Amino acid sequence: MAETIKCPNCGEINPRGQAACKNCLTPLLSVTGELNEDAAIKPGQAPTKKDTAELEPILPQWLKDARDASRNANEADGESLQHAKQPSSASGEDLLGGLQAQTGADEEDEVPDWLASITGASPKPKEAEAETPGTRWVEMGGSDDFEKADDSETPSWLAGLQPTESQPNEKDELTGDWMRETSQPQESQPPEQIAPFDTSAGDTPDWLRQMAADAEAKSEDLNAETPQDAPELPLDAPDWLRGLGGAAEPAQNEESAGLSESGAGESEASLFSAEIPDWLKSPAPEERPLQDTTPPWLKNEMQGSKDSEPPSEPKQEAAPAQDDALGDLPDWLKAAAPQSSIFNHSEEQAEPESQAPSDTPDWTRTVAATETPSSDEPAPAFESASAFTPDAKANGSLEDLFTEMPDWLSAASDAPAPESAPPAAEDALTPSELPSWVQAMRPVEHAPAQPSSTGDESLESRGALAGLQGVLPAVPGFAPTSKPKTYSNKLQASDEQLAHAEILEQLLAAEAAPVPIESFSSLRTSRSLRWFLAFIMLGIVLFSLSLNTRIFSMPVGVPGEVRDAMLAAQSLPQNAPVLVAFDYEPSRAGELEAAAAPLLDQIILFSHPRLTLISTSQTGSMLAERFIAGPLADHYKNSGFTYLNLGYLPGGQMGIRAFAQNPAAISPLDMYLQPAWETAPLEGIASLPQFAALILITDNADAARAWVEQTESLRGDMPFLVVASSQAAPMIQPYHDSRQVDGMIPGLYGGALFEQYNAGRPGTARTYWDAYSLGMLAAMALTLGGGLWNLVANLRDRTLNREAK
Amino acid sequence: MVFSPDLISGVLGFLFTILILSYLIGDNPLFRAAVYIFVGVASGYAAAVIWWQVVVPRLLTPLLPAILTGSLAEKIFILVPLLGAGFILMKISPRLAGMARITMAFLVGVGAAVIIAGALIGTLIPQVEATINFFDPQAAAARNIGLAEALANGTIILVGTVTSLLYFHFGARPQADGSMRRFWLIEIIALAGRVFIGITLGVIFAGVYAAALTALIERISSLVNFLGNL
Repeated sequence: MAETIKCPNCGEINPRGQAACKNCLTPLLSVTGELNEDAAIKPGQAPTKKDTAELEPILPQWLKDARDASRNANEADGESLQHAKQPSSASGEDLLGGLQAQTGADEEDEVPDWLASITGASPKPKEAEAETPGTRWVEMGGSDDFEKADDSETPSWLAGLQPTESQPNEKDELTGDWMRETSQPQESQPPEQIAPFDTSAGDTPDWLRQMAADAEAKSEDLNAETPQDAPELPLDAPDWLRGLGGAAEPAQNEESAGLSESGAGESEASLFSAEIPDWLKSPAPEERPLQDTTPPWLKNEMQGSKDSEPPSEPKQEAAPAQDDALGDLPDWLKAAAPQSSIFNHSEEQAEPESQAPSDTPDWTRTVAATETPSSDEPAPAFESASAFTPDAKANGSLEDLFTEMPDWLSAASDAPAPESAPPAAEDALTPSELPSWVQAMRPVEHAPAQPSSTGDESLESRGALAGLQGVLPAVPGFAPTSKPKTYSNKLQASDEQLAHAEILEQLLAAEAAPVPIESFSSLRTSRSLRWFLAFIMLGIVLFSLSLNTRIFSMPVGVPGEVRDAMLAAQSLPQNAPVLVAFDYEPSRAGELEAAAAPLLDQIILFSHPRLTLISTSQTGSMLAERFIAGPLADHYKNSGFTYLNLGYLPGGQMGIRAFAQNPAAISPLDMYLQPAWETAPLEGIASLPQFAALILITDNADAARAWVEQTESLRGDMPFLVVASSQAAPMIQPYHDSRQVDGMIPGLYGGALFEQYNAGRPGTARTYWDAYSLGMLAAMALTLGGGLWNLVANLRDRTLNREAK
Repeated sequence: MVFSPDLISGVLGFLFTILILSYLIGDNPLFRAAVYIFVGVASGYAAAVIWWQVVVPRLLTPLLPAILTGSLAEKIFILVPLLGAGFILMKISPRLAGMARITMAFLVGVGAAVIIAGALIGTLIPQVEATINFFDPQAAAARNIGLAEALANGTIILVGTVTSLLYFHFGARPQADGSMRRFWLIEIIALAGRVFIGITLGVIFAGVYAAALTALIERISSLVNFLGNL
């Protein structure tokens, strides 16, 4: 590998590994990534560039000179340049790349063997590979050609040109495809086996012919001065070219002399007639000064050509080529073009080339000629199936070929591979080290051509796709037509509204703000007062109950609601079904049991009703059982009193409404899950109005209102009595005044009233009455005393404040 | 020694009564323990009542007969509540809690309709009629109330109702000094309504006190009876 890299732009020598040229900052590193083995290039995929600047040092000097000459040329030969540009300069590059491709098996030196032999480097021995005509589509000879040339001490390039007639059995090994194809009729060649040089149809590469002529001309010039001394060729001349100096040596045999004569100046007509390559006739014998190692087939060819052609004309045509600055440039590439066009072109342009050096090397012109075959002859088969990928710089100038490209080999890397390209010898190449121009020639999968992505080359300047090129443009219909409206998130409030909001905030903050205790003396006073009040109340109640006092007489003067309740209870028929609803909490059981016991005791005593118990609270059924087992225990145990507990009635007001509409459907079972409506208490009852009375025992005004509201239109004339707690009685009183409730017993007071008209039966109300009366008096006294205390205290404080002022 | 259920219930009643009365000395663990036990027992009892008195007899027991031999209406009446109950149980899962909205929407809609209709029919219209009828001599005679007494009662109730309603009229106008003040006539009527509202609150307080006192008397009586029966 080369230790330095020559800048393809300015020619500056840079050390290997340099990213960019230190002179012109041109990128030097290879951008070719590793390729997967057997990876094919997809349609539309550009081959990866490969920096082949490392091959610069091993390029032959004649090629470097040709490039330098092309750079320094101020004027281009118009006619020749136009002729070269018209077909495609890439063809010449591809031709050269194709030549490089056949040595691609060697991954260390990408220099083809023939090139190595030209530069004097010893070609590395290679193993013979089984070639397939379809894969070896570009080659100059077999891989063993050079070895065989070494063995026979003939130039390697000459060794590979074994005639098919003399060694037909070794044709596949010793001769290249193009050589094989030259020996075969053009019509019989299948398209897959078409070689790029087969258009010559067996002719000799022109560059070889020119080199032979060059060597002969030089030898003639030198022979004129020193006939016995072989002239020293330029140092950059390849070995074989130096060997051509042997033409000046005296030892020559007839075949070689004949070959030199015929090879130097044969005409194209004679070449076609004899089917002998032109280059075979001139220089080869001159390289064999002592030994005749020419194969017999070559001898025959040379002999035939010698006999058929005059040697003078080729010399006259080859002479101007030596004077040309591109004289070192081999014309062998011209052989890739149709022979007729090549020679016609050479004849026509021989004079201009000699007068004005062209920027274009001959081989590019010849390749260009291959792209445009003569109209007189049928189109070569390889044009329909191009062996080389078209170059992206097909229309570029030759100046770009040598200046803008990294090297002359990488020029073909940018060209997309054509679909008709024959498969290359991939197995002979190392994928990881494939140069870009080899990648360009790799087979492309047959697929429908991708639409060109170059339709929109606009560069996105904003958004998430900023920096990307060729993205799909936005659909015009979706583009915003106007600037979006902006909404302010600032609250639009007037000063008055803000002031009110501030007041509200202050109020809310004051609620959560802790209030400091002004003085602990007031707190101690409050706690002492609480203990004092508790002591008073507990003492009074305990005193009254423990002593069972009868200090206070029972209340007199029955209020209207209690009177109505008494009348309703007394008006109940015998054995009448009575529905009793227990809707109170256990905490009010003492009060309500004392208030309801006289009513139910009187009813049971005088009417012997069939009681049906129900409750809208979960604890109501239990309280009902407690009530039966407590205040009414005497009736239950002694008088054969029966009742039915329907238990809990769910649904609140909706449950009450449903029960009032269809009690049997809503509460079909009693609290023990037995059928309720077939028992004695509910015998003959199917609806709410069929009950003789509805008695509600409740401590909640809302419960009483619910029963009143939901049964208002359904109970009919059925008496509705309410036993209410003292705290709920004031709320239920309006319903009695409105005749919605027929009677009401308000708390212990109503129970004490009712108890007086219960045939003198003792009741709980009387037991509690003294304690209740004392407690009410104590409460009144304490409330009054406390009020007076506060009044006096305030008057005293006000007086003190007034005196203080 | 045999512990009868009455004795055990009496001991427990006495004990928990003392624990509740300990609140007189302030919040203490004994009081809180008694409250927690009461809440737990009450909740457990309520759950047991709901299961045995609601779910089993009203949903599970008729479910199988209704599905097997019931008519279409019986099946609907059984399956729809079951489906609604299933939806409410979806509240256990936060993701499926939205299913309960169907049942809750039904309950809210039906409950609102029942309550509003009942309030109109059972409270508002009858109460307005009762207030008007206080000035009806025939109605007073039917209730064995004299005309004067009826007029006095009706007047008090009417004035109290009007003044109490006007007390809650808070419309005011800004004054020259920047203060907000109601119309002077409304201020006077609101003052009368304030008196009636005060009396009503006093009556309610007296009723609450009477109820609480009765409950205290009952508890003390039970303690005395328990100690007397020992």
